[in-house]
Amino acid sequence: MKKPTILIVEDDTWTAEQYARVLDKAGYRTAISPHAIAAIAAIDEVHPSAIILDVLLTGSTGFALLHELQSYGDTSVIPIILCTNLAADIKLDDVSPYGVRRILDKATMEPDDIMAAVRIVI
Amino acid sequence: MSAKRGTHEQFNGGFLDGRMPSLIAAAHELKSPLALMRQLSLMLETGDLSAAESQKMLRQISLTSERALRLTSDLTRSARLDDAMFKLEPINPQQLCEDIVHELAPLFSAYGRDVRLVPRKHPLLLVANRDLLRRIIMNFSDNALHYADSNSVVEIQVRALNDGQTIRLGVRDYGPALSSDMWKSLQNKLTKAPQSVHARPQSSGLGLYVASQFADAMHGQIGATRHHDGATFYVDLGASHQLSLL
Repeated sequence: MKKPTILIVEDDTWTAEQYARVLDKAGYRTAISPHAIAAIAAIDEVHPSAIILDVLLTGSTGFALLHELQSYGDTSVIPIILCTNLAADIKLDDVSPYGVRRILDKATMEPDDIMAAVRIVI
Repeated sequence: MSAKRGTHEQFNGGFLDGRMPSLIAAAHELKSPLALMRQLSLMLETGDLSAAESQKMLRQISLTSERALRLTSDLTRSARLDDAMFKLEPINPQQLCEDIVHELAPLFSAYGRDVRLVPRKHPLLLVANRDLLRRIIMNFSDNALHYADSNSVVEIQVRALNDGQTIRLGVRDYGPALSSDMWKSLQNKLTKAPQSVHARPQSSGLGLYVASQFADAMHGQIGATRHHDGATFYVDLGASHQLSLL
């Protein structure tokens, strides 16, 4: 069976690598995009089963990407996990219309939390 | 998108006394490196890693902590600018930048990027405080490191402007273009309080604000130039008239 691919949209290289490390060990395939523009291209290429998205990205923001994804039928159904330092300021109810299914706080999450969140949303 | 703006406005907290960046901005700026170090440490604790992978993560923790410490050191220096006496002296910017490139090379290499000094034929001299100028260029370089594309080169440039009256030290990165709105906000807010909209949106703008304070203390100013494939952050300082002695 083909492993699900998780797209990590995170502009901090080492943070992205850390998420990928955890997900790779859990048996997922991963792809990393450092910004929203690259993420849009990667979505067409890897057809991710879920997207892990930082909010404050270089260039366009994570919210701009969320808005873009909602513009298309195929991308609007991809579950999103926000992984951000702004978790305390974002309510899931406010962002769930944009496909966000979970919000993880970078400052308090455990490494395995990212894997648990992915398992729940896909 | 309104949700984005609403969230960001909360990071526009100004100053405690008109100069000192807000605690909120400082805390936000330090949160990212601390969160990363915590994640890496927790992962190392599991022990389920190869020796090479563990070594790589330990190196990342060291380099990340050094970046965070540089910021705390800059904040302390910024807060004490009024109290401290600092010497302005003729400085060879090319030599200073060579030292910075040498110091930053391991960090850039660890991130899969490179930093280099654009060579010059003719030497230049400017008037500055060595420590403050060094902090400005380190700050710009840190910003560029984060903003630059993978495997790209960040270039430090030294140029003479205004018939040699002004010396510009610039740090050029190659990364995604900023939107026009973001660029306008950056231009408007470059020298003001830590802001939400920035060349590095994950940043509060604290680093560049501190750099502007350091430049101001040396009678200089910082600025930025937008390119189709990145940006240049620069500091303009007065040339030294001792140049004729070289």
